[in-house]
Order: sequence, then C-alpha cells, then structure tokens
Amino acid sequence: MTKGDKLLIVFVLILSLASMGYIRKQGLSNKDKYVSIQVNGKEIKKIIFDDAIVGKTIPIETDHGYNLIEVGDNEIRVIEASCPDQIDVKQGYISRIGETIVCLPNKMVIEIKGIDTVDGIDMMNY
Amino acid sequence: MKKLNKMLFLSVLVSVGLALSVLESAIPLPITFPGAKLGLSNMVVLITLVVFGFRDGITVAMLKSAVLMLVTGSISSFLYSFSGAVLSCLAMYIGYRFFTKIFSLIGVSILGALAHNFAQVTVATIIMNNLRIYTYLPFLMLTSIFSGYFVGLASTYIIKNLKVSFNILFRG
Repeated sequence: MTKGDKLLIVFVLILSLASMGYIRKQGLSNKDKYVSIQVNGKEIKKIIFDDAIVGKTIPIETDHGYNLIEVGDNEIRVIEASCPDQIDVKQGYISRIGETIVCLPNKMVIEIKGIDTVDGIDMMNY
Repeated sequence: MKKLNKMLFLSVLVSVGLALSVLESAIPLPITFPGAKLGLSNMVVLITLVVFGFRDGITVAMLKSAVLMLVTGSISSFLYSFSGAVLSCLAMYIGYRFFTKIFSLIGVSILGALAHNFAQVTVATIIMNNLRIYTYLPFLMLTSIFSGYFVGLASTYIIKNLKVSFNILFRG
C-alpha cells in the first residue's frame, strides 16, 4: 500500500460522502413531486408546489362531502371537513412522496406523488 | 506449444473467474443494494493484466462476462457486467501501466472497481432513460473502496506465487 493508494481512498471517500450529502439535500427539494387530489377514485385536481401558492386554501366540494385544503411550504393539509370523525384534519401536514391523507366518508384521497420519467422498463430490472 | 499452454492457462483463469462470480452471489452482503457486490472475479482480470498484458486481460474480462450470461441466464445483467468489465479493464491497465509508481495493485484495483461501477450506472441510465440513477453512484463508490482494497490485496499475494509457476510453465 503506497501513499498514492491512501490518497486515492481518501479522495474517493470524501467525494462520495460529499455527493451523498448533496443528493440528500436535493432529494428534499420540491422539484419532482405534485399533489394529487382524488375523489371517488378519480383525480380531480393536481397541484404543483410553488412559492406563489403558499398559504392558499382550496375547497373541494363534491356530492360526497366538503373539504378545505391548505397548501403550505412544500406541504399540504386539510383544515376543514364535513365528515364526522375529522381524522383528515387531525393528521396535519404531509410532505413526502407516497404520503396520503384519506377522508373515507367523503371518499377523498390526497396523495403526494413523484413525477416519473421512467417509461418502458421497470426500475428494478437488475 | 507455448501458444497452446497460454490458451489453456487463460481459459482456466476465465473459469476460475466464473466460479468466483457464482460463488460470490451466494455470499450474503450486509447491505442490500442493487449493483453492490464483492467483485471477486475482478481478481482474475487484474492477475491476467499483470501477468499476460492488456490484450489477454481484456479478452478474459469479455469472455468472463459473456459466459456468465450463459450461466446465470440474465441478459440485462450481461449488459451491465460487459460494459463494466471493458471499462474497468481499461482503467486498471492505464493505472498499472502508467501509474505504477503512484499506485500499488490495491490502488489499481480500486480504480478498476470505480470504473466498473461508473460503467454500470451509465448503462443503467441509458437503458432506463433516467438521469436520477446517477444518485446511486456515491453509494457504489463507497462499496468499491472496500471491494477494491481486498481484491488488490489478494491479487498481490496471488501474483507473487503465480509468477513462479508461470516461469516453470512457459520457460522451463
């Protein structure tokens, strides 16, 4: 093991750790996700996070009930609902891809989805 | 006769590499990460490069991944391993030929592992048409330090002994 080897190991270590940190930071940004609001299985609204709509409220009024949704900074929550149990209101904010708020009596689902650019082959095709 | 000897020796090396590849897939790794593996068969390529030279080294590397496809039967992993084998062979040759003063075999083998991972991720990106696959690269780079270190260490010992039997085979 020469000095060059050690230098190479240290260099690769630093490079990979630094880029890992960078990727993690990038992963938390709001670039590739959107909110999908579905009622009775059909998507009725899509919201892409933006600084301009922070704090706005969106009423969802359908035959199945009424919900008021508030958009925060990269997060979203339900602040009012016509359902008896109010579980969706108590759940608070969701922000990560894959998280959902479900209001069963009103048949409403709020889901944060990733914008996928994959087509054709499955991700795990190793 | 010497040519035949060499051919036989190279085919033995290829089959040893195949056996190592099959064997290492049976070894459970503490991390389950697609693409991370021990790369024991890289040892064979490195040894061939050092003992026989570049042309035989890249032949062994290409043959190994082509026959491994027949063993495992998965074509998608053949694409990854073939591109990885060619690029890692190139990187190790450059490392061994021009930077011997800076790197020992350990450094050379780490370079090869890095090149292998880079080629793998690049091919995956092209196949899946998704640039975000490159986020795997830092993790793979970390694993390639460990696997490269041990492969290089093992190769140093093997080459020391192999050169003796090599002399008996081809010059005796």
